[in-house]
Amino acid sequence: MIHAPATISLDARNIELGATGQLARRVCFVVAFVCLLAAILLPVTGVMKWPLFWRCWLQNWIFVLQIPLGALFFVFIQHLTKAGWSTVIRRPAEVLASNLNWLWIGFIPIAVLVLTGSAGKLLPWSDMAMLFEEAPAEAHLVEGKLAYLNVPFFMIRAVCYFAIWAFLGTWFLRASIRQGRDGGLASTRAMQKMAPPAAILFGLSITFAAFDWIMSLSPGWFSTMFGVYFFCGTATCGFSTIIIVCLLLQRNGYLVNLISREHYQDMGKFLFAFGMIFWAYIGFSQYMLIWYANIPEETGWFLARQLGDWGWLSIWLLFGHFCIPFVFLISKHPKRDWKTLMLAAGWMLFFGWLDVYWLVMPTIPHDLASFATYDAAAEAYASEKAGLLRPVNWLLMVGMLSLFAAVTIGRLRSHPLLCRKDPWLNNSLHFENY
Amino acid sequence: MSTITTKPEKTRVARPSDPSKPKPYGLIAEFETPAQIVKAAERVRDEGYKWWDCCTPFPVHGLDKAMGIRQTILPIIVFFMGLSGTCTAFILQAFTNASDWSFWAVVWVTGYPYLISGKPLLSTPAFIPVMFELTILFSALTTVGLMFAFNGLPQLYHPLFRSKRFRRASDDRFFVVIEARDPRYFRSRTAEFLKSLDPVAVEEVQD
Repeated sequence: MIHAPATISLDARNIELGATGQLARRVCFVVAFVCLLAAILLPVTGVMKWPLFWRCWLQNWIFVLQIPLGALFFVFIQHLTKAGWSTVIRRPAEVLASNLNWLWIGFIPIAVLVLTGSAGKLLPWSDMAMLFEEAPAEAHLVEGKLAYLNVPFFMIRAVCYFAIWAFLGTWFLRASIRQGRDGGLASTRAMQKMAPPAAILFGLSITFAAFDWIMSLSPGWFSTMFGVYFFCGTATCGFSTIIIVCLLLQRNGYLVNLISREHYQDMGKFLFAFGMIFWAYIGFSQYMLIWYANIPEETGWFLARQLGDWGWLSIWLLFGHFCIPFVFLISKHPKRDWKTLMLAAGWMLFFGWLDVYWLVMPTIPHDLASFATYDAAAEAYASEKAGLLRPVNWLLMVGMLSLFAAVTIGRLRSHPLLCRKDPWLNNSLHFENY
Repeated sequence: MSTITTKPEKTRVARPSDPSKPKPYGLIAEFETPAQIVKAAERVRDEGYKWWDCCTPFPVHGLDKAMGIRQTILPIIVFFMGLSGTCTAFILQAFTNASDWSFWAVVWVTGYPYLISGKPLLSTPAFIPVMFELTILFSALTTVGLMFAFNGLPQLYHPLFRSKRFRRASDDRFFVVIEARDPRYFRSRTAEFLKSLDPVAVEEVQD
């Protein structure tokens, strides 16, 4: 090759985290512990109500879950396409994806609520008696969906998602580590063979998970595009985090001269394509169909996000998740400079969080769905607060992210940071954009 | 070499040109590998030549940098053309569907407030697909059209086609071409310089 990078060092100091990171990991654990404890104390001491707390919990947990899901997508898409450019950044993505094997813990409280029949405020279909009492019209609609939306099937599905994700997340990491040890082609081939079924399983599982955990919060409402919309969220959070992790590693003196501007430019393209354009495309397609058809049982969901504070939040989401970063990241230069790319990735990660907030937090007033009570309800709902500044949101977000970071750092420490015997490594090291 | 002062261009141009005599187009140097041409390109760039080019059978990594090619202004023009596509689509739809203005453009053109399924006349969501499409259309046409224009295409004839040797540029050889119109071009000196780059051959091409 023509322009070899300055010095390519594959020795341990460059590609193994070793003892460093220990401090960061401890700090993350402490922050996580303090924040989560403080958050739980809020409802325990009666400062806030439990149903609202669990809604915030669900929102933040889904946000954190999106990160390894996006990373998993990134990993298998590389094997699916036999990509050569990405080898040097695959290990951080694999490690991020491997977190799928413990994140199910965050679902336990929700599962307990559903199993004990006390999740009526969160997942209205789980308590039909209450729903019939509060909103007979919606309950009538939901009745037709009970073959799908019932507690046993809901739990079975959740177990299936977690099994699939934990398996895929750890399998790809393990296969890659095995490959790094023996240097053989067998593991590479196995990963390439696993990629297509992984893609199918991933697509199906995240679609139904989005139906179960986000769409069924308003069980009367439905959108067939919702799974794809959730996928855009996973891609946004996953790609942003991969970029942030790679940049942090490099800023701290690891993977030096291994990851180049060329790789960052391509990761920036990924973030640009999936996190901004595809998100806006799918979000608009979903909105457009519902807006145009104008059927009350469908429009209620968007209406709840247009009244009061939520209207401003929706506009802010449109600009913050699409318009502003679109203009910012469209040129190749901000993608190639670490400061601007870091800014863009952090920004997108935050808006990935806000997107989930926008999906999960608003509750549709039942009386909005009926013509008889619509006007009065819309008026009453116009003063609705989005509650973005509620401390519990931020405590849970920081707490869960820190816990996620702590475990990720721990796993980064126990494996090499580079797939050093990957057959594509040389290709990746000399990768250049035209 | 780089300290040579360039002779005024007009001394060469002023010489009465004889139409029967072929005018030189420039000199070509032939190389065998991508690595050689990148090295050669760096030398030619550092020598200060402006009217020159590299011809390779496939894109060579790092050649743009080695040649010192400035970045094209095309993306910036495309961005603003795309933006104007967005605006055009919005204005077009707002005018035709949501206004009753009239103006004369060869014939009288009148907006027609068009009520569709009880939506407001100025319904931006309904306009967005067309805005998106026109953005793409304007950007794509600008990109292709200006790419042709900037590259001087279509060009059915080129002096380099005269050289038999140059035909291998589309197969397995790599060429540096220095044109005679370059102010630093002196036939013997440039040929000597090209030979110092260690090519397979150096050849003069007539216009």
